Amino acid sequence: MKSLMRDTRIEIRIGGTGGQGLILCAKMLADALCTAGKHVAQSQTYEPTSRGGYCNSDLIISDREVDYPLATALDCLVLLDRMAVKPSWALLKPGALVIADTRLCPELPEGNYRVHHLPLSRTAIELGSERVANIVALGALAALGTLCERKALEQAVRADTPKSFLDINLDALSAGHRLGKQTAPLPA
Amino acid sequence: MSSTIVDSAAEFDVRDYLRKEMMPHFLCPGCGHGIALRALLWAIHELGIDKDKLAVVSGIGCAGRLSAYIDANTFHVTHGRPLAYATGLALARPDLHVVVITGDGDCLAIGGNHLIHACRRNLKLTCLMLNNEVYGMTGGQVSPTTSETRLTTTTPLGNAEPNFDACALAAAAGASFVGREVTHHVPKLKELIRAGLSHPGFAFVEVLSDCTEIFGRKNELGSSAEMVLRQKSELRPEAYRDTVDTPFRSNDLPTGVLTKTDRAEYGTAYRKAAAVQRAAKAAKSAAGISK
Amino acid sequence: MNAIDKAPAPGAALRLISGNHACALGAVAAGCRFFAGYPITPSSEVAERLSRLLPEVDGVFVQMEDEIASIAAVIGASMGGVKALTATSGPGFSLKQENIGYAAGAEIPCVIVNVMRGGPSTGMPTRPSQSDIMQSRWGSHGDYPMIVLAPASVREIYTETIRAFYLAETCRTPVVLLYDQVIAQLTETVELSDGENRAPAERKWASGPRETYRPYAADEDGIPAMSRPGAGYRVHTTGLTHGENGFPTQNPEAVARNLGRLFTKFERHREAIDSWETLGCEDADVVIVAIGISARAAMRAIDIARAKGLRLGLFRPITLWPFPEKALRDATAGAHAVLVPEMNAGQLRLEVERILGSQRVHGLHRYDGEAISPEEIAARAQALAREKTT
Repeated sequence: MKSLMRDTRIEIRIGGTGGQGLILCAKMLADALCTAGKHVAQSQTYEPTSRGGYCNSDLIISDREVDYPLATALDCLVLLDRMAVKPSWALLKPGALVIADTRLCPELPEGNYRVHHLPLSRTAIELGSERVANIVALGALAALGTLCERKALEQAVRADTPKSFLDINLDALSAGHRLGKQTAPLPA
Repeated sequence: MSSTIVDSAAEFDVRDYLRKEMMPHFLCPGCGHGIALRALLWAIHELGIDKDKLAVVSGIGCAGRLSAYIDANTFHVTHGRPLAYATGLALARPDLHVVVITGDGDCLAIGGNHLIHACRRNLKLTCLMLNNEVYGMTGGQVSPTTSETRLTTTTPLGNAEPNFDACALAAAAGASFVGREVTHHVPKLKELIRAGLSHPGFAFVEVLSDCTEIFGRKNELGSSAEMVLRQKSELRPEAYRDTVDTPFRSNDLPTGVLTKTDRAEYGTAYRKAAAVQRAAKAAKSAAGISK
Repeated sequence: MNAIDKAPAPGAALRLISGNHACALGAVAAGCRFFAGYPITPSSEVAERLSRLLPEVDGVFVQMEDEIASIAAVIGASMGGVKALTATSGPGFSLKQENIGYAAGAEIPCVIVNVMRGGPSTGMPTRPSQSDIMQSRWGSHGDYPMIVLAPASVREIYTETIRAFYLAETCRTPVVLLYDQVIAQLTETVELSDGENRAPAERKWASGPRETYRPYAADEDGIPAMSRPGAGYRVHTTGLTHGENGFPTQNPEAVARNLGRLFTKFERHREAIDSWETLGCEDADVVIVAIGISARAAMRAIDIARAKGLRLGLFRPITLWPFPEKALRDATAGAHAVLVPEMNAGQLRLEVERILGSQRVHGLHRYDGEAISPEEIAARAQALAREKTT
């Protein structure tokens, strides 16, 4: 499996709609990477409508201090809603990793990308709350992108989760990780 | 013949509180502001407030210029903002006694927002608003307290706008101490200011002070002595009701302490809450270390 | 729950914080103990952070009734001898200008954060811009000196906030910290060791007998010692033109002397004030002059361009005003073109043209709420290089 961490600059976008916990999800990943000594810059759409409208959070990851902190060419795109496709598709690098939710983002444009359709939100519903789809996605992304140690990610999830949500979030992370691992690796 | 100003309170010499190098002052003959300043300094004297611990913040206009005459820590700030400056000063330095001197335009027009929020916030400050019904410094334009029908340089047809009752406004905005007095009653004015200075929250004191040179002349209100006497005609207590024939202001205005409530002082409440938070945090970290 | 609130893992060298958070931490590290502000996007996080941080260090946070009251309260607190900060964005910055001029004229130290968003008027509250470059220098009426610092990263917001307090206190002046919405709300990994161990700057306080103290008589360094209320000096502070004794005067000689000192008082402190960064200017054919997010884009554009054989360099003023003129001249001496990418219609370019003349200077301007990308800068620089060769 191709690791995303081979280049010195990696760009990841988690896109969907406001209220899906995309920014928190990106924050957990950023924390895990930060603990691992990576330099990370996290930005997000910052619009007056936080719920229901288009929302994304971008991470730029580097071994040195990040120069330009905004996305220019995405190495990876996680789609939790079809609304995020249009503003993000043109930014994809050739061969980029795309993880899309089967239910909320069933159709994607053509392109030379490594596309994985995964039942992220369905898995979350089965776990008991659609709200943890972001954490399922995080698990899947970690498995497919091999960005960081799973342990570091778990630590970040623990640190950023309120007590009442901890069990379900940890289950969601494991379930997401399994989804990612079970997916047959696609030719790069 | 001695020129010493002898006061009813023998031990009070206003010169102990004035910057002599700033004399002669710039107020017009007959202006009521000097009387108000004297009453303020008298009250400060009676309360024994240390001049080094006294901070006077004033805005722009005739009233705003008074701070320069006081031998204290004085701040002559921007138009309309003395209450906001004083809020920062009093919050940062609770050891200081902070007094604001402002005029009707400074306090009620350009600075009106700061007044209502200072009333609401209830930080310990004494706000002395000298109301002369006019923008004197700029030559006599209509102000928010100009009585209806009065002539000013910008109301040649007579003022058509109703005026503010500043005390009612302050009370409605939540001021925990509100009072009004006239320059005619110097000892009573001193007593009111003293009560305001002693109040443990925000105190709003309106002083009705005549602008004889500009406002009085424009409206043919007679000499400064006549104007001061007229102050009695429209003000309670009722005893004064029949002593002067023509009312100076269109509405009757009550004087004395008008509102006094017991409300938590903002600075004290804030510092108390902060201390509780610090203590809780210290206890938490101590518990963490002992583990 | 805002996860960014969590303390960093023990022993972690790096931590993730936002630009506005870094500003709040820098302020506390610099000894700031008073904040007054009014909510405005995209600067409110500075206020939110400090509302929690200041009570922990026996400081005071107050949300005032408006923008004007906020700067007024900050100046009032500083008059009381307490280091004070306010934070705002374009519309609020405009409202504060009269009182910023007061602080400049009465020489009251304070720090004003202006997070730039799209304008004019309400503009684009959630979108970045760099269109307050001129307002930050010339926004108040009358002539007055001003120091404006323009950090370009979260780490630099932290260190420049500390430096802003240092300069405000030592030069007795308001200092503006100017950064754009992208940097303000960007979360980056930072090491906050820089400056943390540095003792906070102390204001120059009056000493000696009251009789001989003249509040606006400056020492050799052009800076008059300030008196702390309660220390027995009982001075007068006014926004009117004043003489050395602090009292209002319209005596032409006294006015000219005090204002003349005011206008030039930074000259003897330029070593501490001036700050800039250069990147690859030594051999550059085209030098980019940029601040904030545009400078970050330029850094990447240099890599892109150099990979294609185009020698690009960057001159980044960190102290924007007074502008580091000589450093700019030196950095661009060998370049045949100078490119100024900025998120406005040409404000920084105007200053660069003033210094270098307009012949070599070109602008790349965006005011649509989108940051200028590295590719745009690289492409424009390449076009300029081609113009030269043809």
